[in-house]
Amino acid sequence: MPTGFFTDTTLCIGCKACEVACKQWNQLPSDGYNFTGMSYDNTVQLDASTWRHVAFVERPAPVSEQPVNSFSWLMLSDVCKHCNRAGCLENCPTGAIIRTEFDSVFVQPDICNGCGYCVVGCPFGVIDRNPTDGLAWKCTLCYDRQKAHMEPACAKACPTDSIQFGEIADLRTKAAARIEQLHGQGVSAAYLYGADEASQPGTEGLNAFFLLVDRPETYNLPPNPVAPAKRAGPSWASMAVTSLGLLAAAFGAVASVRGGRR
Amino acid sequence: MSATGITYYDRPVLKEPVWIWTVPAYIFVGGVAGAAMTLGLAVELIGGSRLRAFDERCRWIGAVGGGIGSALLIADLGRKSRFFAMLRVLRPSSPMSIGSWVLATATPLSAGSALLTLQRDGVLRAAGQLAGASAGILGMPLATYTAVLLGNSAVPLWLITRNTMPLLFGASSAASLGSVFDLMRLNREEQSIATRFQLVGRVAELAAAEAVERQACSNERVGRPLREGVSGAIWQAAKVLNVASLVLTIMPGNSKMRRRIAGVCGILGGIAVRFAIFHAGKASTRDPRATFEQQR
Repeated sequence: MPTGFFTDTTLCIGCKACEVACKQWNQLPSDGYNFTGMSYDNTVQLDASTWRHVAFVERPAPVSEQPVNSFSWLMLSDVCKHCNRAGCLENCPTGAIIRTEFDSVFVQPDICNGCGYCVVGCPFGVIDRNPTDGLAWKCTLCYDRQKAHMEPACAKACPTDSIQFGEIADLRTKAAARIEQLHGQGVSAAYLYGADEASQPGTEGLNAFFLLVDRPETYNLPPNPVAPAKRAGPSWASMAVTSLGLLAAAFGAVASVRGGRR
Repeated sequence: MSATGITYYDRPVLKEPVWIWTVPAYIFVGGVAGAAMTLGLAVELIGGSRLRAFDERCRWIGAVGGGIGSALLIADLGRKSRFFAMLRVLRPSSPMSIGSWVLATATPLSAGSALLTLQRDGVLRAAGQLAGASAGILGMPLATYTAVLLGNSAVPLWLITRNTMPLLFGASSAASLGSVFDLMRLNREEQSIATRFQLVGRVAELAAAEAVERQACSNERVGRPLREGVSGAIWQAAKVLNVASLVLTIMPGNSKMRRRIAGVCGILGGIAVRFAIFHAGKASTRDPRATFEQQR
């Protein structure tokens, strides 16, 4: 049964409990005590040892039509999207990256040889190679916990249910209801990011989708992510034409010289 | 704020490729090897017995290039001892998987054919010729797949040039092989073949470079690294070196020294093409606006 996350950013309070729970359960090393000076975000990005990242956007505009404030906080707990068409998985030459029985995308650390091709294949900049052990790492959607019928650590720790875990079909229903509710409350900007193939054909939908109230770019999400292999066709065709050109040049060079000698 | 001006504290969206210098170096060496295998096929089939030594030379360049290329690729792996995992599966959606199989098949075939055709005749020689022909077929994708590999990514500059890059890499491979021959002692007939092959490749390379640049700069932000910074400088150097090599090659007269200088220019130009594309791609991932503007 496909499972995943519905991350409702309107409920996020930026507590970073998800980051901590993820680090703790997955035994990921600390990122160090870095002060970026950009808002409350000192985690900065998802990487090989950071699988949840809370983005903080300080926006000089109200969140709804209610003119109570000319400022709004937007917070989003970012995570691997576990795309239905996953660029990392399609690029992986070793078969280390697989799709699990929960429909999540999982890197098998005993097979990965650290070629780095998944890193350039991800249109979200999620997966990364750990410089210490040389392997590619990212969110496993708590594959081990799911195996034991437990929900992922981040969703378990989230105090506001901004991160909801469940079966994708259920999450979509919940998300649609939430959008309706928000629109009713005057938050007309609320929309779903990557909830299905229709709204995000490039990835054919995300198993970890989001409710946003501003453009994707605001949260550092790509507006139109595409799994690279989806549009590689013309590139392969160009390669085929070039290959034949190479062959023709080779035969032409030999034939012209041989012919001239006769 | 304009729609395209929004970023998240100017932080990049994408991860910069983790690949080191050995990757563009491989793209050059593997390309030369692939072109050599393909030229070897033509020499084997229609070259006649007088060109046997040249055929053999093509195969050795293919085998040695494939070997060095494999070593360069393994050097880049995060876990080098697991290089064999590249041949664990064949994944058609991954150009790297296909390329690994091509490289791992063509290299021993080329080496085997070079060794076996040392025999004057007999079954072994026939087997060697068959191996050489197979390597020649595989040489074509070997010289060009690296462009599909780069283009099959989220890296803005590689993505936007994915249809012209194969032409650039393929043509550059042919031209670079010709330049490698410029540094070798060849007889008159061999030299004319190498020069003609080189000229076709070089002219196509210069045209393809123009096409790649135009395609890249169809989005100002995405194409910027080909015009500015270190990658832009390498790109310009590549053009100058390749034009210099072309001019030196077509100049009338028969000076050995000039041929050597043309060869060095051509080789450096071919290397610069790969490094420019490589570093420009890396630079484009560091710019979130390049990522966003390409998708809007």
